[in-house]
Amino acid sequence: MRLPEGHGPLRWWAEAVRGVYRSAVLVGLTWLLPSVCLAVGFGGSRAVGSWSEGLNAPLAVRALVGLGQVLMVLLWLVAAVCIVHPLTSRLLARAARRCARSWLGETFEVTYRAVPRVSRMATGYWWDGHEYHGSEREARRRAKTHARFHDPQLHWDGLWGLAAGAAVLPVAGLPLLGLAGGTYLMLAPELLGYGFEYGYGIALIVAGLAAAPFAWRILRPVGRRFLGPVPHSWLGRRVRELEAVQADLTHTQAAELERIERDLHDGTQARLLALGMSVGAAEQLVDTDPTAAKALLAEARGASVTALAELRSLVRGINPPVLAERGLVDAVRALALDAPVETTVHSTVVSRIERPMESAVYFAVAELMANVAKHAGASRVTIGFAYAHQLLSVTVTDDGVGGAAASAGSGLRGIERRMAAFRGTLHINSPTGGPTHITVAVPCALS
Amino acid sequence: MRVVVAEDLFLLREGMVRIVEAHGHTVVASVDTGPATLDALLVQRPDVAIVDVRLPPTFSDEGLQAALAARREVPGLPVLILSQHVEQLYARDLLADGHGGIGYQLKDRVLDTAQFMDALGRVADGGTALDPTVVAKLLGRPGRADPLAALTERERSVLALMAEGLSNTAIAARLFLSEGAISKYTTAIFAKLGLAADDDTNRRVRAVLAYLGADAPGGW
Repeated sequence: MRLPEGHGPLRWWAEAVRGVYRSAVLVGLTWLLPSVCLAVGFGGSRAVGSWSEGLNAPLAVRALVGLGQVLMVLLWLVAAVCIVHPLTSRLLARAARRCARSWLGETFEVTYRAVPRVSRMATGYWWDGHEYHGSEREARRRAKTHARFHDPQLHWDGLWGLAAGAAVLPVAGLPLLGLAGGTYLMLAPELLGYGFEYGYGIALIVAGLAAAPFAWRILRPVGRRFLGPVPHSWLGRRVRELEAVQADLTHTQAAELERIERDLHDGTQARLLALGMSVGAAEQLVDTDPTAAKALLAEARGASVTALAELRSLVRGINPPVLAERGLVDAVRALALDAPVETTVHSTVVSRIERPMESAVYFAVAELMANVAKHAGASRVTIGFAYAHQLLSVTVTDDGVGGAAASAGSGLRGIERRMAAFRGTLHINSPTGGPTHITVAVPCALS
Repeated sequence: MRVVVAEDLFLLREGMVRIVEAHGHTVVASVDTGPATLDALLVQRPDVAIVDVRLPPTFSDEGLQAALAARREVPGLPVLILSQHVEQLYARDLLADGHGGIGYQLKDRVLDTAQFMDALGRVADGGTALDPTVVAKLLGRPGRADPLAALTERERSVLALMAEGLSNTAIAARLFLSEGAISKYTTAIFAKLGLAADDDTNRRVRAVLAYLGADAPGGW
């Protein structure tokens, strides 16, 4: 809405009209919860009051009855709010945010919970991030409902609804009340019966118009307090983090299982089958054509070697043998020996750390080393292990080009998130031009 | 030869015992745990032992550790280590004492009986029998700072075959060269690596060790 320039009466009128409009909008956005509360409260007390009409009993009994009635009404109030709020809060809060943005330039960055992907587990059940379901449709439905109604942001929006009902509605309602009351007095002069009606009516209308340019601005302080993202406690943040990590892990795991199944099915199983067939054929031929049988057997042996090689590389991807046999530090040493960049490993860690941690840290370090080989253009890499105060830290240092960052979607961000599952951290120090130091630290116990 | 076989999987153990006995050797003990392996090695003092890396009770690298412990007691006790995976790290541990009589091969090699028995014989004679994959891994790393840079391409390939444990005759056959040429190459290699002329077998092992140690990380 463009307003005329300057401070003339025209401008003032425009301000007043705009104020009336905005107040009306605000009233429209905030009346629902308070009026539901009022209606239920009022109707409820009427209904409850009728139960004890004409009750003739000692004071103590009546006091008890009164208390019961008050509790009953409160119960209904809560029930009404619980029904109305989930269905309307999000819509109303979003509309209020839109108003705040276009009228006041206040933007509130709010994220509602996204619907998690559902994934099929190896057991054939569908996992929606919280529980298992028999069918994909059901899992999707439940994931949607859960995301929608168990969203902390939704409840925070509900709180905005209550706060706005208590603070924004009365203030924004004043100009409208003035206009409506004044108009009513002018149209119904017999109400006061003094002959001053017009005077009162006009006074009220003028007061309403005078308040109009300012009343709607109540949106700013209240909105700042309640329209933003839900304030998270540390615990809440941690839960969010863990939920994200859990979802990540669920999907990584599902993808891994699929990969392993595919590799076994297309590679090793097929080869073993071919092997059996060759041996069978050789069995047939052994009496009639020993030469051909020998050739077939040689072929079978070749096939078994290939199958073994395939299985070997598959097993390495699941759990590197050195890691299983000797633990983290030696597994990284073995990795360093195979690395294309000259890599030195130092360790002051005396014994093995907890097994699940080993695997997590190993794959993180492996990824860091792969990154160095891919992006850093380094000629030397140093990996240092240290353990102190229940904290294992691994630092990968390279003399490459630097400029590594955990931007969204990068491998480093992935490592960061996986480490977060174990309360671990990833610290990157990589100025342009190098050298780069990346430290992975996880709290853990030595085994 | 008197042979000890240490392997926890029954089928594989029996298979190996059969192969070894089919070639006219005696299996003096076949065991399936780490401690039993160490006992058998120290009590029997076999001419050669075939040991699996991963053994019960812990299923860590118990077989390897038993072999290393036995060789600390009896330097140069010939051991052929078998594993589903070959790791440079383990090859290094095995060769570190520089005594030779060490083999480290993939279990698949057992399938080629002739080659397997050949490797077993080489280890029993105090030589080395490293799996080609360990050697190939070392060769397949271009652009690393390398103490072996002084060697020519041809010398490197001779050294690689030496690491696999082949004799000069076998290397000559493999590279289509005369045996005389090969011994010239080996002499050059020993000179460049600064290996004093002592017992040739020992020197070969040390050359291989230098080769494996090409990028030895700190603390070796």
